[in-house]
Amino acid sequence: MITAQQKPIDEIRGMLVPYKRILVLGCASCVAECAAGGQKETAMLASTLRMKAKMNNEDVIIQEHTLDRQCVKDFVVTLDDIIGSYDAVLSLGCGAGVQAVAEMFSEIPVIPGLNTEFIGETRAQGLWVENCLGCGDCMLYYFGGVCPLARCSKQLFNGPCGGSVGGKCEINPDVDCAWQKIIDRLSRFGALDRLETIYPPKNWSRKQGGGPRKIIREDQQR
Amino acid sequence: MHYQHNRTLALFYCQNVPGAGERERIGLEKEYGQCIRFYPIACSGRLEPVHLLSALENFADAAYLITCPEGMCRYFEGNLRAIKRVMRTQDIISGIGLEKERVGIITGSKEGPKTLAELAKEIFDKVLQMEPSPVLGKGERSYDYCATEAH
Repeated sequence: MITAQQKPIDEIRGMLVPYKRILVLGCASCVAECAAGGQKETAMLASTLRMKAKMNNEDVIIQEHTLDRQCVKDFVVTLDDIIGSYDAVLSLGCGAGVQAVAEMFSEIPVIPGLNTEFIGETRAQGLWVENCLGCGDCMLYYFGGVCPLARCSKQLFNGPCGGSVGGKCEINPDVDCAWQKIIDRLSRFGALDRLETIYPPKNWSRKQGGGPRKIIREDQQR
Repeated sequence: MHYQHNRTLALFYCQNVPGAGERERIGLEKEYGQCIRFYPIACSGRLEPVHLLSALENFADAAYLITCPEGMCRYFEGNLRAIKRVMRTQDIISGIGLEKERVGIITGSKEGPKTLAELAKEIFDKVLQMEPSPVLGKGERSYDYCATEAH
């Protein structure tokens, strides 16, 4: 899941200054799960912006709408009927959602209302943690399902740094030592021998070395 | 007795609060007219910030929530969640320059439980001390808006 957090209200208002008819556009997928840009959060932000506008006697129209997914063209295209009524879209999608809407409706400014954060999991209610860097070359098999790149503060590939205390990271004691978890899990599976291999430095060219990445699946295409 | 004031309170309350039955609510609505709008909810944990914000945006000078006493929630932790949601709403409204006190929560007491009628009066008296909401402006709510006659 992509996680995000709402930008400060003053920053959002600052970006909206030139516009009089604004569509606050939510996304009911990842950003709804992390309580940043779903239907509820979209209604809250729109209401807050309307209140502030009324307090300042600003003559603006602010309405809200939520798509099932802002990053999928088939859903974005449904805006076609309503988007002409607005000067600007305030998107509560992740960065991908903002750009998908902007790509399809090139004549209308699309403003990000969220700061996109990371790929993570919902660990508990109200707690999201990063656990994937999207490196393009998953090595979770070798590390017992715990990614040392995403979860070790030092991104070590070949064993622990030795600084952890009681299974907690020396850099941040709130964080579990990823290597403690890797060794515990591999021990449980009787697969510690996977760590006998020396892993070379990560080949980051598969992540960002060649510009924006693309996945093409002909069997999924029309 | 009925009230004529140019303030409006949105009052959400847990149905577990003493004196929060339908008959009592109807009586209070007659007494307060449009000055207090009563919203019974099955559990205060069901209240979302958007409910409070919507009330402030559309008609209310203040929006309050009354919960059952701590430890007495029928759904275990609804009233605890409600506290956090009200605090979040307070942060949101203070971010746009509205006083935090326009949103609040009253948690009932186990020892000396007060009825809905008593708490409604206490909260409304507090609301009467506030300035009219700058969101609604002085002109938008005429005096008559809250001057519903008791039947």
